[in-house]
Amino acid sequence: MIFKLFRAEAIKLRRSPLWLMFVFVPLIPAFLGTANYLANIEILKSEWYSLWSQHTLFTDYFFLPIMVSVYCARLMTLEHNSHGWNRLLTVPAGRGLIFVSKLMTAGLMVLLTMVWIGILFVASGYIAGLREPPVRDILIWCAGGFGGGMVLAAVQLLISMALNSFALPVGIGFAGGLSGLVFLARHLGHVWPYSLMGYGMASNAPQKISERGYLPFVLICIGYLVVFTAAGAVLVRRRGEMGS
Amino acid sequence: MIKLLKCEYLKTRRRYIFLTLLAVTAMALVWTLNGRVTEDTRRLGWMIYLYQLPVLDSVIMPLMAMLAASRLWDIEHRGGMLRRLVPVSGRNELYDAKVIYGLSMLIPCLVIDWAGVIVFGFVNGFQGDFPLRLYLTRLLCALLPTVTIFLLQNALSMAFRNQAVPFAVGITGTFVGMFSMFLPRLPWLRRLTVWGGYGALSFVGMYGYTAETRWRDVFFTVDEPDPFAAIFLTLAALAAYSMGKRLFKLKEV
Repeated sequence: MIFKLFRAEAIKLRRSPLWLMFVFVPLIPAFLGTANYLANIEILKSEWYSLWSQHTLFTDYFFLPIMVSVYCARLMTLEHNSHGWNRLLTVPAGRGLIFVSKLMTAGLMVLLTMVWIGILFVASGYIAGLREPPVRDILIWCAGGFGGGMVLAAVQLLISMALNSFALPVGIGFAGGLSGLVFLARHLGHVWPYSLMGYGMASNAPQKISERGYLPFVLICIGYLVVFTAAGAVLVRRRGEMGS
Repeated sequence: MIKLLKCEYLKTRRRYIFLTLLAVTAMALVWTLNGRVTEDTRRLGWMIYLYQLPVLDSVIMPLMAMLAASRLWDIEHRGGMLRRLVPVSGRNELYDAKVIYGLSMLIPCLVIDWAGVIVFGFVNGFQGDFPLRLYLTRLLCALLPTVTIFLLQNALSMAFRNQAVPFAVGITGTFVGMFSMFLPRLPWLRRLTVWGGYGALSFVGMYGYTAETRWRDVFFTVDEPDPFAAIFLTLAALAAYSMGKRLFKLKEV
């Protein structure tokens, strides 16, 4: 059933302009980040690691939270509009599964975004004259971004479901991204849902990636996902009881 | 017009648009003012913030403009409200009411952001005379691109029922605007994009900062804001406003 729901969500997003954002937004930091790297190559000595910071420093805290918020707001707006909840809640599936299917769809978009960011990063590096990319680190950064992004998606889905609006959850996502910076500056980046994406992608200190280890990060992500998914299931159930 | 503005207020009541914008402003201020105040930053504080504010504005204000515009038009798109509104109030007046109402939420946020830095400076005892003229110029230099971007986003949010489109444009533009400030070799990126206006109108330069000496040998230069960018932004604002209005007139409701 979960895969049927997931497929239904994917069909709803077909021909959505969301894909425009998914393709074009990561191109900007890739192009301009590389240009900035090349302009300051005498200061930025750490090659691939410096380039990664240039690509992702602003992306992680301003733009990815907004992109994930837009993905999630769109997934929920589809139901808010035109009595979509009425139709969805008649599907013979557990309420929790409905939320999980939306989370899986948002997760797929986050995953594709991470893969796209990774591809652009490696291509930019080669164009900038770098060779032998640190493949293992890149995979870990992207996986970390995916883990943090899933938590962010779960929070934003909850917010988007509770608020019958498109812009408001995106605004909250933006404020959350800013708060993520503050938490990271206070060395609490690994506990705040809005910091986890940047923390996982190690954009501000890519070489320190293995100092703390990724196990606590993974456990925190899983913990948050369980809590937010349970909350999402409760919200969907309440929506069913109250009528949409 | 007063009636239409009141209508806008009633439509957005309990929709928390202004509250969201205030929350983003508050978070932006926390982020801006986050950090330890040292003897050096106290000595140079007024100029440091004049130098840094354009970067912060280039991220925060375009996204707030995007949010405000989207929320105002999303209300109408959803229930097919334009079909009811347009026959009872002229299209011109309705469009103007949206613009005025949106700006009346956005501009106070900009002023709060600006005033917050000044209050922070006085509370922390920034040294030297408060450069009022420079700060007023800074406010105007932030206002012009903000209004221009809002007018553009307003037109896009009106034209597209699916708000993901104006969001995609806004996010991409904000990215370009912010990065343009770190790419002095691409001046056209600042001067010929509305999002780059914050950088193009920035008039304070900072020199002498190094990782070793940090703020010790830092000095600032003050220039005039780029008149070409100011003219470009003014023309872009007029174009966005008239294009939006024209599209609204042609729009089938």
